[in-house]
Amino acid sequence: MRIRLSQDGTNLKDVVSKTQEVLSSGGLVVFPSDTVYGLLVDAKQEEAVSKLIAFKNRPIGKAISVFVSSIEELASHAFITSNQKPLLESLLPGPFTVILNSRHTVSNLLESETGTLGFRIPDYEPVRLVSKSYRNPITATSANLGGRHPHYSIESLLNQLPKEKQAMIDLIVDAGKLPRNKPSTVLDMTQDSLQIVRKGDIITSSKNEYRSPSPKETRKLGAFLLRQSEKKAKGKPIVFLMTGELGTGKTEMSRGIAEVLGIPQVVSPTFVVSYEYEIPHSASNRLNNTYKQFVHADLYNIMESDEMEHIGLDQYLDKPVIMVIEWGERMGDFIHSLQEKTHVVLVTFSHVNENERIIRVHHSL
Amino acid sequence: MNILAIDTSADDTSCAIISGRKVLAHVEYSQIALHAKWGGILPSLAKRAHEERIDWVIQKTLRNAHLSLAQIHGIGVTYGPGLAIALEVGIRKAVELSSTLTIPLIPVNHMEGHLYSSFVQNAKGNPTRPFQFPYLGLLVSGGHTELILFKDHLTYEILGQTVDDAAGEALDKAARMLGFGYPGGPVIETLSQTVKHEDRYIFPRPMMKSQDLQFSFSGLKTALLYKIQKMSEEEKIEALPYLASSFQEAVMKSLIKKTERAILKTGISRLVVGGGVSVNERLRTLLRALVKSHGGIVQFPPYKYLNFDNSAMIGIVASFRAEEGLMLSPGSHIDRVPRLSLLQSTQ
Repeated sequence: MRIRLSQDGTNLKDVVSKTQEVLSSGGLVVFPSDTVYGLLVDAKQEEAVSKLIAFKNRPIGKAISVFVSSIEELASHAFITSNQKPLLESLLPGPFTVILNSRHTVSNLLESETGTLGFRIPDYEPVRLVSKSYRNPITATSANLGGRHPHYSIESLLNQLPKEKQAMIDLIVDAGKLPRNKPSTVLDMTQDSLQIVRKGDIITSSKNEYRSPSPKETRKLGAFLLRQSEKKAKGKPIVFLMTGELGTGKTEMSRGIAEVLGIPQVVSPTFVVSYEYEIPHSASNRLNNTYKQFVHADLYNIMESDEMEHIGLDQYLDKPVIMVIEWGERMGDFIHSLQEKTHVVLVTFSHVNENERIIRVHHSL
Repeated sequence: MNILAIDTSADDTSCAIISGRKVLAHVEYSQIALHAKWGGILPSLAKRAHEERIDWVIQKTLRNAHLSLAQIHGIGVTYGPGLAIALEVGIRKAVELSSTLTIPLIPVNHMEGHLYSSFVQNAKGNPTRPFQFPYLGLLVSGGHTELILFKDHLTYEILGQTVDDAAGEALDKAARMLGFGYPGGPVIETLSQTVKHEDRYIFPRPMMKSQDLQFSFSGLKTALLYKIQKMSEEEKIEALPYLASSFQEAVMKSLIKKTERAILKTGISRLVVGGGVSVNERLRTLLRALVKSHGGIVQFPPYKYLNFDNSAMIGIVASFRAEEGLMLSPGSHIDRVPRLSLLQSTQ
């Protein structure tokens, strides 16, 4: 069966309950995610998992990750040390798969030979809802045959599948063409130091430190950091202070942040110091209901911090605003007003080489 | 109809009195000397200077035109794009004048002004330059880089624009990286002339492969930065004019390439150019050669001040708007729109 998930999410509730019904009866579901289309089965039902493995032609012993809905739920299926917890909290939900030592609560066919298991908490409402009200973890593997590329549309997937494979699918949830985000970054947290097993769009090398190989990834990191900050800000205005040399990607990240908010044309505000944009209303984007204005400032031309009084940024601090301040180190005492009234995110950019950047992030200075 | 026009979008406090396309008087107080020391527009200075100078500038304009306020029939004012707190000063004054004189108020998009700047005439009506629509407009300044389809009076379509930095901003930032002050464009141009525009380093021309008409200049900064970092102080001094020249070539050739693509795409080879960077002789030379090969023409602002921010061009647009009845009643409220797009002003 194939059902369509409408763009505005009006039939989301029906889609979620139908999906849970199929999962519960041991079925195989093709479902959209924040990255590619995925294959969902109940991770505790041995038979369902076997069906999934057969479908993917996956060698036994090669691990398959699972979706969970929260870090609390994650902790009931894996061992989490006090060192790992802060990192998990900063990355999840997000486009990451974290590998941890399993508590063996799900089918052991999903675990690696060494007893580890991969977990995802995606920042994607439909998956979150399915997983939240479902009693068991759900598998989170990409919907493609072993060794083949993942899919961003149902058509592309079905084209790859022979008839007998198609017949194995019990439900297809079609959300149309997904944005071309890479599969998640896979992080192995069971070793002494964090290991990157697979690189997705957002690459983290330790807590609060990211690597970006190109402007495109810097934009995606901006989008990720906005969502991460929203959780921490609890409704307060969010201010990103960006520091780093010319050409390290500050404006690119600002564009990534603006794109999440539905603002397409963001250009460098250097010449006029600051630009303001209205955030369009959106039923499906929670951020757009909380925040009304996006302010993009650039202090590149500011040489003395008392200039800050005249730019007028203080007028925004009592409003539902998301603000980016490039060359934020030049603001002097204004930082105290920000700390008092907003959630401040310090983002520091540095060059690794001509293309790659290291980006460090600190919340609420 | 005599229109008094005000522009305070950035660092110039400017007032003009216009009749049709003719500039009866134009006075501006430039803050460039104030800002040069700081390396860019300084918001507080800009705001304070606008506030302190605006009455004086208006009075002087009236005196130069030998007119009194009673002989003014409409007030034109820039309401965006530009620096918010600077725009506010001009808007406040315009609303106040329109209200006390009970004459209509005509809000004008600053970029429309640049598009019309090559049609501005002096008090004697020169140059005559008839309108022969459609035109391709190329607007290049410190805050903008846009290709416009200028279909008819007050009717525009944006064909392409920068996705990151403006062309003038790129030149300013390059100048600063090379150790020079604000504004950077003229320094870069002068240095380039000394080496006859030699393109020694061939910096990347971004977005040249993409078939659209968008510009991108932020990657150029990085290329220049990396080039300089690899040099010793002595090498850098030796290479300075070549670095400047190669950088300018990369910027100008990008502009030319996309303009040519726009000519091919639209079939229009009649160009109007405006904005601060249009004063650059290298750009003018390349554009003249470009339109020649396509059998077209290119029009630049006829007087030097018209390349830069000025109120004369705002007054011309206000005249055309008034003719179309696009006026607000005296003392109407106007919001400044710092990111105003030309699309929002098209008919």
